[in-house]
Amino acid sequence: MIKVTHLIKIFEGRGQVVRAVDDVSTQVAKGEVVVIIGPSGSGKSTFLRCLNGLEEFNDGQVVIDGIDLTESKTNLNAVRREVGMVFQHFNLFPHKTVLENVTLAQRVVRKRKPAEAAERAMKLLTKVGIAEKAQEYPSRLSGGQQQRVAIARALAMDPKVMLFDEPTSALDPEMVGEVLDVMKQLAREGMTMAVVTHEMGFAREVADRVMFMDAGRILEDAPPAQFFTAPKEPRAQTFLKQVL
Amino acid sequence: MSLKRHPAQWPWHGLLVLILLGLAIGLWVATKRVNYEWRWERVPQYFAYRAEAPQDTPISGQVSAIAPEGRSHRLVITPEGSGPPVTVTVEQAQVAVGATVAENDTVGVNFEWRVGPLTQGLWVTIWISFVSGFVGLVIGLITGLCRISKNPALRGLAVLYIELIRGTPLLVQIFIFYFFIGTVLNLDRIVAGIGALALFVGAYTAEIIRAGIQSIPKGQSEAARSLGMSAAETMIHIVLPQAFKRVLPPLAGQFISLIKDSSLVSVIAITDLTKSGREIITASFATFEIWFTVAILYLLVTSVLSQLLFWLERRFARSD
Repeated sequence: MIKVTHLIKIFEGRGQVVRAVDDVSTQVAKGEVVVIIGPSGSGKSTFLRCLNGLEEFNDGQVVIDGIDLTESKTNLNAVRREVGMVFQHFNLFPHKTVLENVTLAQRVVRKRKPAEAAERAMKLLTKVGIAEKAQEYPSRLSGGQQQRVAIARALAMDPKVMLFDEPTSALDPEMVGEVLDVMKQLAREGMTMAVVTHEMGFAREVADRVMFMDAGRILEDAPPAQFFTAPKEPRAQTFLKQVL
Repeated sequence: MSLKRHPAQWPWHGLLVLILLGLAIGLWVATKRVNYEWRWERVPQYFAYRAEAPQDTPISGQVSAIAPEGRSHRLVITPEGSGPPVTVTVEQAQVAVGATVAENDTVGVNFEWRVGPLTQGLWVTIWISFVSGFVGLVIGLITGLCRISKNPALRGLAVLYIELIRGTPLLVQIFIFYFFIGTVLNLDRIVAGIGALALFVGAYTAEIIRAGIQSIPKGQSEAARSLGMSAAETMIHIVLPQAFKRVLPPLAGQFISLIKDSSLVSVIAITDLTKSGREIITASFATFEIWFTVAILYLLVTSVLSQLLFWLERRFARSD
């Protein structure tokens, strides 16, 4: 479903050159859940943002469902509607109600009829357990509720892949659970997911593979059972010692 | 004992009243010293007045009867030769029974309400401001978008336009627009006036809109783009509505300024409120009264606009 080969992303500024993603190659199969962990500044968010072309990369290839992002005739907008993304800070549209947040892109991008979009939206809002807030504005919702709406908003486009960029990092601890539950349910339903997170419990329970990134490189790529009990890389060992 | 202490407010209210009273007395004394005679009773006629409309007789003949009818009078005119008599209804007769009248002679007058020059001037000011404000908003929106465009040509043009307009006085711009561009393109003075004002307000609006767009967090457009929206769709549905809400207060200030600045078009002989005031003064010599009245009329228009925009602002605040 996702195929990345020799991906390189370099940030340049104020005389500094940072190789945020440094020659990464990997694959994610259909229905697979991949959790990417690593210390902050290791390039995991940048890597994730390259997957839907939100970040322009310097070199390499990203292929989503057989479509090469780097090819000049590829319509990035068409690729992005197949790739849902959930952000650390939710990024709900504050001037739209919860329902409008979920229906807007369906109508504008998928050209669905308002009634059809609303029906799909309500179904998804019910799924993430927030249907009763459909007419509220995002500012009236708690962080956990906002993030669940953001997940529903991404799912409304019927994506083939879902990308999660630290979805629980900006939440109060008591709200982390409700968001993770929604993500676990998605994983059980067979959604292809790439998740950047610091939730080791989630990684251990849900992930098919755990990738450990540091300094722009994937240092370790293993099933969670193996990664959490016997990490090979010394850098991964020290990281795990600190977070567990 | 609570931590918050509230000092008494009434002495300060008293002081405020005292200062205002002092100002009023000062104004009164000042006009006394220059021996100015206030004639406020002359002002209302410049808003609206009853004009005399002369009424003519359609035929020659003799006024045979004048009969009162409500507040007017019916004049019956019998023709000299043969033919039926004709009646003319007037509010005030200017001929007596038995008078001989020729065709198209004035036999009396009717009175009708006419709009005075102050009202006409006020109307011109309002619609000129409205049209140039609307055009200016469109120019400002387009220029603001060009200003943040990645295309160097568009960006350069936008910067040049904004700097040219902001760096020169509006009065000079109006003269250039009227005498140069107006002559070259053969423009009507009203079009030239509106054009100059619209270009002026457009440059300032562009900067306000640019700031508004740039104040919207990047995450908003990233979220929209990640849903597959194009750059234009993102701008229309996500960024601009939020930006517009944020820039409403500075925009309101800009449009209130525009109403006041529109008084400058009187220099190219557009009869707006200011020019009407000047014309009335040459006829009435009520200099102080008319200028005060003109100022109050401007104040009236700007406060109505400011209330309107305030109401709009509160409506937009629903989602906060």
